[in-house]
Amino acid sequence: MVLLDIKNLTLEIDISGGWVKALDKINMVIHEGQIHALVGESGSGKSLIVKAIVGALPVRWRITADRMTWKGQNLLTMSVKARRKIIRKDISVIFQNPINSLDPLLTLGQQLKEMLPTDKLTKTWFWQRNAEKQGLAIKLLHKVGIKNHQICLNSYPHQISNDVVQKFMIAMALASEPKLIIADDPTRGMEVIAKTQILKLLSRVNQVRNMSILFVSHDLLAISNMASYMTVLYCGQTVESGELQQLRKRAFHPYTQALLDSAPSFRKDLPPKSPLTSLDGTIPTLYHLPIGCRLGPRCPRARRECVAIPQIRRVHTHFYSCHFPLHWKAK
Amino acid sequence: MTNVLLRYTNLVLVTLFILSLLSFILAYLFPGEAVENLTGLRLNELTAMQNSALMYSADDNIFVQYWHYIGELFAGNWGVSFSSGLPLYEDVGHYLPASIELSAYALFLSFFIGLPLGFIAALRHHKLTDYSLLSVSLLGYSIPVFWLALLLILVFSLQLGWFPLSGRISLLFEIPSITDFIIIDILLSDSIDKQAALISAFRHLILPTLSIAVVTTTLILRITRRSVIETLNSEFILAAYARGLTPRQVLMRHGIRNALIPILPLLAMQFPTLLTNAMIVESIFSWPGIGNWLIQAIYQQDYPAIRAGMLAVSVLVVIFTMSIDLTIRLTDPRRRRAERATT
Repeated sequence: MVLLDIKNLTLEIDISGGWVKALDKINMVIHEGQIHALVGESGSGKSLIVKAIVGALPVRWRITADRMTWKGQNLLTMSVKARRKIIRKDISVIFQNPINSLDPLLTLGQQLKEMLPTDKLTKTWFWQRNAEKQGLAIKLLHKVGIKNHQICLNSYPHQISNDVVQKFMIAMALASEPKLIIADDPTRGMEVIAKTQILKLLSRVNQVRNMSILFVSHDLLAISNMASYMTVLYCGQTVESGELQQLRKRAFHPYTQALLDSAPSFRKDLPPKSPLTSLDGTIPTLYHLPIGCRLGPRCPRARRECVAIPQIRRVHTHFYSCHFPLHWKAK
Repeated sequence: MTNVLLRYTNLVLVTLFILSLLSFILAYLFPGEAVENLTGLRLNELTAMQNSALMYSADDNIFVQYWHYIGELFAGNWGVSFSSGLPLYEDVGHYLPASIELSAYALFLSFFIGLPLGFIAALRHHKLTDYSLLSVSLLGYSIPVFWLALLLILVFSLQLGWFPLSGRISLLFEIPSITDFIIIDILLSDSIDKQAALISAFRHLILPTLSIAVVTTTLILRITRRSVIETLNSEFILAAYARGLTPRQVLMRHGIRNALIPILPLLAMQFPTLLTNAMIVESIFSWPGIGNWLIQAIYQQDYPAIRAGMLAVSVLVVIFTMSIDLTIRLTDPRRRRAERATT
């Protein structure tokens, strides 16, 4: 069953008088029980997509889309209230920066209890409810692997180490028992052990409760362990999306190939002391976006036709948008 | 906790020490004999015995003199005024409460008006309400206090005759001074018609309070607005929206407290401005407060009074500011250190 269906999502930002397309025709479909990876360099608009889905963008920015539906209900045309209800019930977000996304003046316990859905509570009186909430909160913490629940619940965000707060954020995301968890770079800046724990936790949640996860990251190694489907983003455009295995075996878009090549762990044939490959140049700023395919100036295969935006082409479940894809003779 | 308390006490003590030192040095810097400036007694009025005692201590070195000075300060022996010959300690004790009363009402009024308006302006950011509140506040901020006070007198006392021109209470009432806060004194006294006295006192309060409150209100409004806008744009507020909380829940549970914490220290810093404005307004409305009293002292070159008044006012400001700072420091959980390593 399709949970989230996004077609041609465009986000325009007003930068010193001119409207710039920060996201240009993004397409993404998330199925139930799927771990969907969203990959791209820093500045490619990954977090913007997340914010556009949950509606946490400034009002001044213009969002347009041909289709942006949650289980068939249109998210863009529905009332703010209805949308908020859906987000409260079915979608949870784990933010990039766990400490900044928590209220510094409330204890973690207060914030976790705030997220527990009130209709799940069975007791009537408020003191019974408080006890019940406390019990639920402790259970949630145990689920995400925080053993010392009392200290954690009574502390303020800044008093707890970063990886524990990240686990706590996952507990918060699980509190409303959502259908979709959006994990926006949840392992940023963490050391390996904490990272593995969090990734394992996310996969377990996916397997045990059949929750879908939109995993936003640039950590290809983590993604290849977890995700089944991948969407590659470059500078606000979706360049390629498809089954992870297919993408790894045969990427059509030069950018996807460059991304895969830049991760040494994926190259089995890499001889010792050989130079590592990387794409020349940097991602363009919003002030200097190239027309057409935005990879143009950096693309090793660019030709004159690339100034026009390429159409999306499809091979089975594999979508790409490139005029001159790799492997196209082999196809 | 005790550490913080100790540090603040230390800071207050050091500041007060420097203030007392300054007031002592002032006696030497003012024209005339230091002894005259310190005691308020003219040398030629002293008896022979007092004179010889004074000469004896004046010959001591300056540290001993300062030690004596501090001893007399704490004993409540602040000298007498040149002009009236009244003891300064009693004078300050009588006039300072009147000023504190006036400033406190003005401060409360500005809080009650400024804070909600600041919130409204911030919540309607970039909309008509915001812009109009901002321009009104700019207007209020730019009006000089003395001019505003005169205008208020001109319109409401002289033209319309709604409010009395000057003083604290109608001369008909004889209020025994117990605490020197007029409202409390009225409530404490039992010989007079309390209701009529209260009404009279309030009618006298309105104009001076208003003219001080206007500037402070606009200040509070602007500070609040800035802080609320910043808080509402911070990441955890967006995160709270993304968790599906309603705007009301977000504002009530996360917005208000976080917006207020940075405001309070800024407001504490506005207290001296408030007091200065109160002094000006006092002398316009002939309010028997410390400001009016000090300005009279300055006119009459009453050096002992200037010294004592300045010391009293600055001690008040220091203690007020420090105690607000301390309250914030102790209540802000962000400043609390992690007590243990956690899992």
